[in-house]
Amino acid sequence: MTRSLIIILLVAAVVFPALAWQSDFAVKKGYEDRYKAIAARIDSSTTLEELDSLKGEIAKLDSAYASHQTFLDKALYPTTFSESMEKLRSLHILTYDRVYLIRTQGVRLSELEARVASLTARLDTLTSQRDQLFGELQESKKSVAALREAVKRLTTNLQAKDRLIFAIVDTIFLPYGKDLNQVADVQKEAISQRLEKANVVTRVYEIAADNVKFLDVTQLQAKDYGNLIEQYQAFTSRWSGLKEKMTAVAATTSTVTSQPAGKGSTKGSGGKGGVREAAAAAENATTQAAHVDSVLLEWRAKLNAAFWSGLQKEITGTGITVDPFTDGPSFSRSIRAYVAMLKQTKQDPTTFVETLWKEKIDRDWRDGLSKESMLGKTEYASLDKLVSELSKDTIDLKLILYVLGIIVIVAAVWYFLFRKKKPAELPS
Amino acid sequence: MIRLGMYILVPAAALLMASCASLTLDRVDFGWPVESVLAVSSSNMIEDVRNGVKAGVGGLALAEFQDSTALRGAKLRLLRSAEGYYFITGPRFKNVYVFSPGASALTIYSAIPVTESGLRDPALNQRPPYVELLDGDSFRRLLTSNDVVEVKK
Repeated sequence: MTRSLIIILLVAAVVFPALAWQSDFAVKKGYEDRYKAIAARIDSSTTLEELDSLKGEIAKLDSAYASHQTFLDKALYPTTFSESMEKLRSLHILTYDRVYLIRTQGVRLSELEARVASLTARLDTLTSQRDQLFGELQESKKSVAALREAVKRLTTNLQAKDRLIFAIVDTIFLPYGKDLNQVADVQKEAISQRLEKANVVTRVYEIAADNVKFLDVTQLQAKDYGNLIEQYQAFTSRWSGLKEKMTAVAATTSTVTSQPAGKGSTKGSGGKGGVREAAAAAENATTQAAHVDSVLLEWRAKLNAAFWSGLQKEITGTGITVDPFTDGPSFSRSIRAYVAMLKQTKQDPTTFVETLWKEKIDRDWRDGLSKESMLGKTEYASLDKLVSELSKDTIDLKLILYVLGIIVIVAAVWYFLFRKKKPAELPS
Repeated sequence: MIRLGMYILVPAAALLMASCASLTLDRVDFGWPVESVLAVSSSNMIEDVRNGVKAGVGGLALAEFQDSTALRGAKLRLLRSAEGYYFITGPRFKNVYVFSPGASALTIYSAIPVTESGLRDPALNQRPPYVELLDGDSFRRLLTSNDVVEVKK
């Protein structure tokens, strides 16, 4: 026992000072050399098997130098140990994805990335045009026609941006198929990185915010709303789809990065820094998504407010006073109450039916009102029927009067032309 | 009025100048995290791009080897201590040279003898408040700017 202890102490006396007395320069150089060697091997890898084995090498490098983290953070300035390891992992993931795509689907990553870059550039061009259009829109001296033209161009610009951002999203997700559950974790992380690189969430937020600004600075006409509501609904629906995908990808990314070293061949590895970064990335993604949700709510609120107040103004403009309304149900109640009042008081409904309902609401506002998020087709049809019946009552009354008039005329003609004259009475 | 201005402005300016002359920034740490390993060029120069230091080492070669060209092609180890002194040594050196920076010059502050047989593959580490000198697995010295404070074998 004593002999073993002495041997251990002797070994410790030789080994520990040697370990402690290490050149900082040698540590730094050793790390950099191993790092470069792994990076070069990743770059030249052509098979997934090679890349799988390199994942283990990355984990070994991380654990070998984790105890020197404080020193390396200074020595590697301006980068840090965690950042450099993250960069190496990122290189591994992207290479893995590239090799995977080429092997399984024949998709050339360069083509995919070129398309994303091209779409992103077009989006940026549209963004600079948008600034100019907002400027034009805000010039107060413009004629009405020029203002309408500016609104039209701005609407087109915003719709084009909307299409482009989701085209970018589609391009990023396209090679992986619709079901993300079938996609390997490493690919999901690659998707996540591409989404981040293309700044997708920020761009989605900007487009939504542009639409809010557009509603703030624009005086819209009744016919504009149908398209705008459709655009909002399509945007919301696409964002919802993207958010679902992003959630799936973010959850995986977090798992992959925080997986302990050496567990499973398809999982990545990371130190404490990796876990922190993954958690921070997931939190950041959630925060960004929450911002988009929030601006979408604002978009919806402004669109609703503009729509219903515009409609209320239209009704008031015809000299008809109905109960105020702020949404589909209150509009419906208001119209029904007005129709009931007309029926009850037997007022002439012509202005309401002909001037307001047929010439304005049914012609200009029906498109917007029929959207399910506003009033809905069924409810609009029901109101239309109600108003038409009001008109029918009027027509029936007139018809009766016409018929009665014709009967009187016919009777008069008959009386004067065909009535047999009584023979004159002879004087007795 | 002018005289009054002289009475106020001149002392104020003098006070300001005096305060500027004595202005110092304290708790400065000049230390590099890691030494630089620098090859001596054929023109007897070393250059550390990362830390922005360039110097001629002919004088150093003359002092250590009595030959101003002895260091050409050699690799020197350069480390700036937390105090701001430059520590230089290299293979076959018997001393560690400590320089203090001046205007376009590094001036010798001390030459610390560390071994009689000459260093083989030395390394300098930043170990505030000391600089650690290593040579292989069994040679370690902790240095101040002018002395060895610890010897362990």
